[in-house]
Amino acid sequence: MSTPLLELRNMTKVFGKNTAVNDVSLSIGQNEIVGLLGDNGAGKSTLVRMMSGVTPPTSGDWVWQGEKISHLTRASTEALGVETIFQDSALVDKMTITRNIFMGREMTNALGLMRIKKMDEICSSILDSVVTIEGIRSPRQLVGSLSGGQKQAVAIARAVHFKRTLLILDEPTSALAVRATEALLAYLLALKAEGVSSVLVTHNLHHAFKVCDRHIVMNHGEVILDVHREDTTVDQLTAAVVGGRVGLADYASRGRIG
Amino acid sequence: MYMSVGAASPSAAPSVAPAKQSGEGALGRWIREHRGRGALEVTIIFCLLQLGCILYWAKDPTKFAYLSSANLSVMSQSIPWLGMLAIGAGVLMIAGEFDLSVAMNMGMCELVFIRWYGSGHSAWLCAALSIAIGIGIASINAFIVNTFKISSFIATLGMGSFWWGMQNVYVGAGGSSPTPRIDDSKVSKQLKQVITAELGLGIRAQMLWLAGVGLLVWVFMHRHKLGNHVFAVGGNESAARAISINPKRVKWMAFAILGALAGLAAVLQAVQQRTLIPGSTAGYELEAITGAVIGGCSLRGGKGSVFGMILGVAFVKTFQAIVLLSSLPAYYLKLFIGVMIVIFAVINQYFEGKAE
Repeated sequence: MSTPLLELRNMTKVFGKNTAVNDVSLSIGQNEIVGLLGDNGAGKSTLVRMMSGVTPPTSGDWVWQGEKISHLTRASTEALGVETIFQDSALVDKMTITRNIFMGREMTNALGLMRIKKMDEICSSILDSVVTIEGIRSPRQLVGSLSGGQKQAVAIARAVHFKRTLLILDEPTSALAVRATEALLAYLLALKAEGVSSVLVTHNLHHAFKVCDRHIVMNHGEVILDVHREDTTVDQLTAAVVGGRVGLADYASRGRIG
Repeated sequence: MYMSVGAASPSAAPSVAPAKQSGEGALGRWIREHRGRGALEVTIIFCLLQLGCILYWAKDPTKFAYLSSANLSVMSQSIPWLGMLAIGAGVLMIAGEFDLSVAMNMGMCELVFIRWYGSGHSAWLCAALSIAIGIGIASINAFIVNTFKISSFIATLGMGSFWWGMQNVYVGAGGSSPTPRIDDSKVSKQLKQVITAELGLGIRAQMLWLAGVGLLVWVFMHRHKLGNHVFAVGGNESAARAISINPKRVKWMAFAILGALAGLAAVLQAVQQRTLIPGSTAGYELEAITGAVIGGCSLRGGKGSVFGMILGVAFVKTFQAIVLLSSLPAYYLKLFIGVMIVIFAVINQYFEGKAE
């Protein structure tokens, strides 16, 4: 078996007296799309923030291609090629689409001065080729003037443009229309063909089941199920997500494994 | 909203020019892209104010000597140092923070400059020292705000009071030491030439300093990637952090810019006035913030324009000139500043909603 792209070993995150993520171990393989599922408050978003390096874990190891990364930051995961679409989109309303897409990764000359025209051109092509979003007139439009779906599409465009190895998507389809959602899911498969792995966090099990090779179900900060697509069904996943550990008994009675 | 995937290959990237609205000219597009972003609205209002003043002056130049060399001289000496404070305060507001100690910071720098230059040290050394002290004082504020995560409003309110006291300690107020003063004969001709020389029509060289500083900060804020990070942190700190921008470093940088400009403003005023009573800079912070707000800075961070900040200060000083030339009581200026902060905050918020 090849070395996983990313391994989280015994990751725990404690906020005050609350344990948001408790001793979670999981792996993301090369060329794999993994669905991270769970009800509200399951700890998915906290795990995503630790996975992407934004939130440091209270304890546990972040291992990239077999090598433990000791000082985990967003900059270090970014350098390894990890891109994340956060649930809140992580966009700045008062900045233009171009400046949001290149935020923190501006194209500059030797003096650090931004090549704004070049960034605008590339932004136009990203919006047109990666995601075509109706209603956006110019890359210089402020993100604050966009609809929720348009903002989400801009966040997706940003992550996809800079993707290199692993794309983490936290509820990317929550504000998208049906066609846009279908397009995004198809896009994840296209990325996989190019060798880019993805982690798809979603409440929509049908979306997950459609594209994910493997499903990880979280409940109360713990991983309660880690199963390949061919070994499960949407009904079984629903039982596990809704019922938690109790639901796992129902899960076993419904399906192919257990 | 419709989003589609670009063909089978994710890396395909045909170049497409930004879409235009049908029938929209270049000017229309420019206005649409600049509306509600900082400077456009204040520029229009400022031009209308200047037009009104000029027309009133033309009607009776002896009664309202707005374009007299004396008035232009006064305005061109008072706009630059306040303009620098406003640019600093504006940059910090864009980063989402305030500094209410900036006036006392400037006063401290000015006292050090006056004492050291008055003791015969080189002007360049004293200017560098003044700027370094400005950066140092502002960095202490940044440290407090970043480390203890308390509101910059409260932190700098307290530090302002502290530096007011320190000014008195420094000059030995209440003791035998007199207020520091530079004897006019000790100010070198070269220094006067560089800072206070008359360029014509009464306009002073300080205006060139403001133009130079304004251009430099404009390039930094609107064209440099670090300036882009200031807007990002002020606009949405958690989003900036998620994209690996370090908000603490960015905020320190914004405080440091304000400190450096307070130090430079202190030098300009020190050469012009040659003395300073400790604590007499009180109130400048309000005028600087007024200039920044009038110039389009958002009180919630993430929005502002360097050009607008300079216009905002010019706006304040224009009204000051109107009060003086019309022989109105000085408290009218206070009335004006209070009302203008509220009015322009409302105007900015209204146009921010219209921004595309």
